[in-house]
Amino acid sequence: MERLRTISDFWTLHNRLRADSDSQKPVVVIPAGTCGQASGAGELIRVAKREMIENELTDRMRLRITGCHGFCEMEPSVLVLPTRAYYPRVKPADMPRILYAAVLGEVVEELLFVDSVSGRRVEKQDDVPFFRKQRRTILERNEQVDPIRIGNFLEAGGYASFAKVLESGDRPNVIEEMKASGLRGRGGAGFPTGLKWEMLAKAKNGTGKYLVCNGDEGDPGAYMDRAVLEGNPHSILEGMLVGAFATGATHGVLYVRNEYPMAVKHLLIAVRQARELGLLGDGILGTSLSFDVRLVKGAGAFVCGEETALMRSVEGYVGEPRQRPPFPVERGIEGKPTIINNVETWANVPVILEQGGREYARIGTEKSRGTKIFSLVGKIKNTGLVEVPMGITIDEVVNGIGGGPLGKGRLKAVQTGGPSGGCIPARLFDLSIDYDGLVAAGSIMGSGGMIAMDERTCMVDLARYFMGFLKDESCGKCFTCRKGTQRMWELLDDITTGKATLAHIDLLEELALVVKDTTMCGLGQTAPNPVLSTLRYFRDEYVEHIVHKRCPAGVCKDLITYSINEKCTGCMLCGKACPALAITGDKKVRHAIDHTKCIKCDACRSVCKLDAVEVR
Amino acid sequence: MSTDGIHSILEKHAGDRFALISILEDIQTKYSYLPAEALRTVADKTGKSLADVYSVATFYHAFSLKPRGKHVASVCLGTACHVRGARMVAAEVERRLGIRPGETSKDRQVTLETVNCLGACALGPVVVVDGHYYPKMDTQKVAKIVAKMQDDTASMSSEGPTIPLKVSCPRCNHSFMNHDHPLDGLPSIHVTVSFGEHHGWLRLSSLYGSFALEMEHPIPMDAVVQFFCPHCHGELVGANDCPECGAPMIAMIVRGGGVVQICGRRGCKSHMLDLDAANL
Repeated sequence: MERLRTISDFWTLHNRLRADSDSQKPVVVIPAGTCGQASGAGELIRVAKREMIENELTDRMRLRITGCHGFCEMEPSVLVLPTRAYYPRVKPADMPRILYAAVLGEVVEELLFVDSVSGRRVEKQDDVPFFRKQRRTILERNEQVDPIRIGNFLEAGGYASFAKVLESGDRPNVIEEMKASGLRGRGGAGFPTGLKWEMLAKAKNGTGKYLVCNGDEGDPGAYMDRAVLEGNPHSILEGMLVGAFATGATHGVLYVRNEYPMAVKHLLIAVRQARELGLLGDGILGTSLSFDVRLVKGAGAFVCGEETALMRSVEGYVGEPRQRPPFPVERGIEGKPTIINNVETWANVPVILEQGGREYARIGTEKSRGTKIFSLVGKIKNTGLVEVPMGITIDEVVNGIGGGPLGKGRLKAVQTGGPSGGCIPARLFDLSIDYDGLVAAGSIMGSGGMIAMDERTCMVDLARYFMGFLKDESCGKCFTCRKGTQRMWELLDDITTGKATLAHIDLLEELALVVKDTTMCGLGQTAPNPVLSTLRYFRDEYVEHIVHKRCPAGVCKDLITYSINEKCTGCMLCGKACPALAITGDKKVRHAIDHTKCIKCDACRSVCKLDAVEVR
Repeated sequence: MSTDGIHSILEKHAGDRFALISILEDIQTKYSYLPAEALRTVADKTGKSLADVYSVATFYHAFSLKPRGKHVASVCLGTACHVRGARMVAAEVERRLGIRPGETSKDRQVTLETVNCLGACALGPVVVVDGHYYPKMDTQKVAKIVAKMQDDTASMSSEGPTIPLKVSCPRCNHSFMNHDHPLDGLPSIHVTVSFGEHHGWLRLSSLYGSFALEMEHPIPMDAVVQFFCPHCHGELVGANDCPECGAPMIAMIVRGGGVVQICGRRGCKSHMLDLDAANL
C-alpha cells in the first residue's frame, strides 16, 4: 500500500475503501481468536476456502477471519452478514451448507442457535439472549475487522477519529472530550483518563514523553484484553495516536504478556502496517506529529501489571515496584514523563471521539461511565466475554446474560477483580456493578474477571488458591508481603487440611490487616482481599473446616471421602475411569470404592451419569 | 555450545540498553532454555554484572535455566480453570508423567509446566502442548495427551494442509502447474527464482499449507528470493510485505478466484490465501 503523505491522502483512501464496502455481497465471518482456534475454527476456515475455490464462489461472497466475538462457549461459530444469521458450534461438514445459504441470502434453519428457555431457534445473533442483553461498543468492532488487514480496519471507519482530531489541530479539545466522557481506567484502579492525559500534556520535563499500553493481563480468569489485542490491534494504535496528539508524547510502548502469542503476532503486524502506511513514525500524515511504538513482551511476572514494576520491566530490569511519588507522569520510563493505560481504556478512546465525550457519558452511572467488558467464566452456562453498561446488576450479568449456573448446582458467589478482589455472595447479586459499589461490597472492579462459583466451590480452598498465587508472585521487596502472603497461605493450608484451630482465623485477620497497611504496591495492599472477603461472607465455611473437619463443597482432599450410593446400576463407567484402580464391582452390581487406594481425583464422579458417586 | 547464535542475537539488540529481557527471550527461543554460558556471554557483552543478568533470568517465569524437553506441556491453573477442576488435571498429568511442574522427563521427551492463566478461560480447564490448546480437560483426556507426547512418532498438531490450489501468473495468466513433477501427490507449482548470483527453477507443493519444495540451486535459510513467471518472465510481486518478517510477498492467481501470497524469504512460513480482491 502506498504511504499516505497528507491528511487528504488519508481521506481519499478512507472514502475509497468505504465505498467498496457498500457492495451487497454477503460476508461469512469466522471468529478465530485463541478460543475459536482451540475449538476448531481453523478447520472451518480451510473448508470454507476450499469450497469457495472449487465452486467459484469468490465473486459472490466475502470471507472474513476475525478475532473473538465473545461467546466462547459456542465456538467455533459463524456469523453471516448482512443477515446476521448466527451459527454456534459449527461442524466442518456443515460449513458448505452455510456458505451456499449465505450466497443465496438464506439461512440453514437446523444449524441456528436454540434458546434453551423457549426451545425456539433464534436466527439473528443479536436476538440470542447472551448477546441481546449486552451493549457491545468495543466488542462489536471485533466482528468488523480482520485483525491482520489494515484495509479492513480502515474500511470499518478505523483511524478516522484520529485523522479528524489531527486535522482540527485542537489538542486541548481532545483532553476536554476525554474528561467529559468520564472514562476511568479500565485496568482496575479507575483513575480518570482525561485527567491523567492532562497531567502528561502539562508535564514540562523535557522531550520524549511516553505512552504505555498495559497489556500484561495477569489476573487469572480475565481475558478481555487478549480478545481486544488479538481481534482489533489497530484500535489500540488509534487510541494511542490520539493520546500522542493530545499529550505531546513521542514514544509508545505496547507491553504484552508472553502468554498471548497471537496478540503479540497481531500487534507486530499492525505496527508494521501502520508504519508502512505512514500512520506511525515521523511527520505523520504530513503534520508535525511524530510518534512510534515498540512492543515489549512481558516474561511472566504478575507484579509487572503494577505501573512502576512495568516500567522497570520495559527498561529490561527485574520488575520490582518502587515508591510513588514520583508518579510515572513525573518520572517514568528513562526518567521521562509517562502514562500507562490499560488495553480496554485505549480501545475506548476512538469510540469517545467518534461519539463525543458527552454522548459517551450518557451510558453508565454518575461515577462510572461507559461500558465495561467482563470475562464471565467458571461455573456458568454461557461463558465468554460480555460487554455491559456500568451500573448493571450482577444478577443481570450472571443470570440474564450468563444463563445461570452450569449443571445442577446453585450459584454461591462471584469473584471479581482477580487476586486483588473479593467474592460477592449470591444474596448481594442485585448490587450494581460500578467502581465504588464493588469496593463497598469488599471487592473491586479490577480489570474485569468475573468468576462464577457454585456449591461445589470451596471458599476456603479459593482463598488458599489466591494466596498461593500471590505468595508465588510477590516480588519480595517488602518483607510483609513476602512473608505475610507465605504465612497466610500456610494458615489457609492448615485449615483446608484439617490441622487448624479457631485461633487460625483470628491470626489470619490480624495478619491480613498488617499486610494491607504495611506494603508498598497494589499487589501487597490488596493481597489480603481474597481472605478478608471470604471471611466476611463465608465465615461458616471456615468454621466447618476447623471445627467439624468437613469441607461442605467436597473439594479439600484431606477432608473428603468418595463413596458410591444405591443409585449405582453397575454400569462400570467409573471403574474404567479410575486411574488408581480403586473401584471394584461387577457388571450390574453396585460398585464400591477402596479408600486405601482412592486418590480423590474426581474421575469417577465426573463420568457418573446417575449421581451415584457421593463426596462427603 | 557454540556462542555464534548468541553473538548474532546480541548484535541485533546492540545499542539498546534496555534490551536485556528481549535478548534473553531470543536466546530462550533459540535454545529452549538459557544456558549458563549464554548468560556469561550476555553479561560480558552488555557490560552488566552476571548477578544482574542472573537476577532477571530467575525473576521472570518465562525463563528456564534447565534444558527443556521435546514437548512442553503447560497446565493452566487460572481461577476459571481452578474452579472447574484444574488441580485434578494437573495432578493427573504429574502422576502419568512421573514428574513435578518445572521438571523434564528423564528421556527429555516432556517438560511439565504450570501457568497462572493462559487467558482461554472459557475453555477451562486448559492444557497447552507445544502451542496447541486442549480445551475442557478432564483426567481421562490427560491419558491420551500424555500418551501422544511420549510417542515419538505422533505429531501434536492435528492440523494439516488441506486446500489444493491451481495457480497462474498474475500478468500473462499462464498456468504454473507442473504435472510431470508432482509434490505431495499433486501437480507442483513451477516458477523461476533468483537470489544472489543464482538463477534457476523452483517447484513448490500446490497444497496450501504444505512447505514441500524442490529447487535447482540450494537457497540458504533467510535469503530473500525473487520469483518470476517462467512464461512471460515477469516478476511475481505481492501487494504488500510479509506481515511477519517484512520481506516482499510473492503473489499468484488462484484458479477459482483469489490470490495466494507467500513470503519470499526462505524459512519464513508466512502465507495468505486471499479470496477477496478488495482486501489489502
